[in-house]
Amino acid sequence: MKNIQLREPSLLRRQEMRCDRQKNPRFLFLFLCLNLMVAPAVHAANGSDFSRLQSYALGILILVTVALSIYLFVVMFQPERF
Amino acid sequence: MNIQTKRRSDRKHTPKVQMAGLYTRAVRDAFSKLDPRIAVRNPVMFLVWVGTVVTALVTLDPNLFGPVNEQPNQQRLLNGLITVILFFTVWFANFAEAVAEGRGKAQADSLRATRSDTMARKVLPDGSTQSVPSTALRRGEQVQVRVGEIIPADGEVVSGIASVDESAITGESAPVLKQPGTDIASSVTGGTRVISDELLIRITADPGQGFIDRMIALVEGAERRKTPNEIALTVLLTVLTQVFLIVVATLPPLSQYVNSPTTIAILISLLVALIPTTIGGLLSAIGIAGMDRVAQFNVIATSGRAVEACGDVNTLVLDKTGTITLGNRLADELLPVHGHSLDDLATVALASSIFDETPEGRSIAQLAEKLGAKIDFDPDTAEGIEFSARTRMSGINLPDGIEIRKGAVEAIKGFVRSRGGIATPELDAAYERVSKLGGTPLAVCQGNEVFGVIYLKDIVKPGIKERFDQLRRMGVHTIMLTGDNRITASVIAQEAGVDDFIAEATPEDKIDVIRQEQAQGKLVAMTGDGTNDAPALAQANVGLAMNSGTQAAKEAANMVDLDSDPTKLIDLVTIGKQLLITRGALTTFSLANDIAKYFAIIPTIFSAAGIGSLNIMGLKSPQSAILSALIYNALIIPALIPLALQGVAFRPLTADQLLRRNILIYGLGGVIAPFLAIKLIDLIIPFA
Repeated sequence: MKNIQLREPSLLRRQEMRCDRQKNPRFLFLFLCLNLMVAPAVHAANGSDFSRLQSYALGILILVTVALSIYLFVVMFQPERF
Repeated sequence: MNIQTKRRSDRKHTPKVQMAGLYTRAVRDAFSKLDPRIAVRNPVMFLVWVGTVVTALVTLDPNLFGPVNEQPNQQRLLNGLITVILFFTVWFANFAEAVAEGRGKAQADSLRATRSDTMARKVLPDGSTQSVPSTALRRGEQVQVRVGEIIPADGEVVSGIASVDESAITGESAPVLKQPGTDIASSVTGGTRVISDELLIRITADPGQGFIDRMIALVEGAERRKTPNEIALTVLLTVLTQVFLIVVATLPPLSQYVNSPTTIAILISLLVALIPTTIGGLLSAIGIAGMDRVAQFNVIATSGRAVEACGDVNTLVLDKTGTITLGNRLADELLPVHGHSLDDLATVALASSIFDETPEGRSIAQLAEKLGAKIDFDPDTAEGIEFSARTRMSGINLPDGIEIRKGAVEAIKGFVRSRGGIATPELDAAYERVSKLGGTPLAVCQGNEVFGVIYLKDIVKPGIKERFDQLRRMGVHTIMLTGDNRITASVIAQEAGVDDFIAEATPEDKIDVIRQEQAQGKLVAMTGDGTNDAPALAQANVGLAMNSGTQAAKEAANMVDLDSDPTKLIDLVTIGKQLLITRGALTTFSLANDIAKYFAIIPTIFSAAGIGSLNIMGLKSPQSAILSALIYNALIIPALIPLALQGVAFRPLTADQLLRRNILIYGLGGVIAPFLAIKLIDLIIPFA
């Protein structure tokens, strides 16, 4: 019984394994973190015309556009993967 | 030549492909392809997919990405319409692909119906038999198959002679004789039925690796990989998409500067109108349809690359017998020499052919018997000498030491000389006479004495000359290979209209001629069925093996003809060219379409910049212009699905002529058609 418990991965390790399996939530998390930097810049650039929500939404749209551009570059250089 | 007509007239009865429910299934599959994990494989349509999601968001909240000047409700309506049109653009592209895949799946289902899990009689090492499921059989094991039973897996006949019904695979209702030791008749396919006698078969494929299993996987598209041309075109389309994405993404500051602010939905509409969605949406459907057309022709391609290679072929290497001439050469006349009588020659010719089971051999025996010849020995005591490509003769050794041979005149001359005999000008005269008639002369000798020449009549297939003319117009060079002498080969070559020929060819010559052509940068196609053809089939860019051929030939080739008709290589070249032409034509059309879309959307975005005069179509309003361009963009995809699936009508023209023709029809047509269509849609939609 003791050995079995020792063989079980720790909670942290289990979370790491889960993250390895599910990359999308991790990317989404990083994406939103990145937006924490982009959205204030958008808000600052547009002044009072944009609400806070609009700035964050536009920040996400800018990041989506950049992500699409990176994706297109990947297709260009590794077309056989698609 | 019209391929469709040709196919209907030439094809034998083929297994029925069930097409019912094809479109219902395609509609369902088109929705399931909206899964982003599947959508991401098509870069152009994935951008439209993302655009649809974004416009859906601005439909819910028009001010989501910033304040808009217009009434929210009016903006919501426009955004909603744009979302619906973009959704259908993606869905139509998915539908085109699903229809093409559905046709392949229907073909696979008809093949799957021929495969059934049967019980096999496995032969154990002690000679006894054990009943096992066909799925338990492994490569190298032997099975016994009796009359009425289904052959459990692909294999080679070890012993026995039996008639096999291969109609489930080939559609050909006439049974095929299977026997061991021959290149052509010893290979059997799992799923076919023994209809007389019994066979002992050595299994050559593990479960799931059999010929039908591989065919099903290929036709269904499970093993479909992008072909080099598809990859190149995908890169081109992606580059264009990237360029337009950057252009559209950097437009807002410019539009702000000219005091003509624009909304996210309009920017997305512009992006979708600019990127090549038509060809992006139809690209995979064209490729799948190409494979399907080949499968409908009863030919199985191991990859889309092979089908495409057919279209790029520069040189066709063709066997004379069976491809250019009718397969069975028949003995027509006996020409005695050296003072021998016709009866003597007939007797020796009959003796030389007594063990010869080829159609030629049987026809010689029949002709000799018709002339009254009889054998005066017991065939069981004699030794048969089989024909080989190296010796180029066959015959018989009698028990009293007499050697009788028939074969190529040069080979018989050598044989006679080696026995101390001589070849006279009389033999050469008979040989030339037959050769000049386009027939094949076979000399017959007994010991060191030549008795005469057999005239084997060769008939050029009707219509083959016209087909070679078409190939020549397309810039395809044809080379005929034959074991016949130079004179016969030149007569047949001239009659058939081939560009070049190689006489007295050995199997090794095939691979040599392929290498020589490839060294000049040409793509070569050839057919073959024997084990000795396998290296050449593997070396050729397109190797078409006959289904009746050996397992080695089928594995070396990248295409297998289920009807075992070598002439189909010519049809495959036209199908390959049709595939390339279709892809090129639709790409031209798709890119040419952009011009009209610029004129519809650009004046809308920069209306405040005073470029309203660019609205040359006189579209009612900016909103109407955008919707009209997008509706056209969406509708053109389903409108072109039939063309993508059936292919552009093929005409035997040179590459330059085809280019000029396609630029005129699909280039100029692609410029004019959207102007008319967008204007018409603008007049119809009630969006002022």
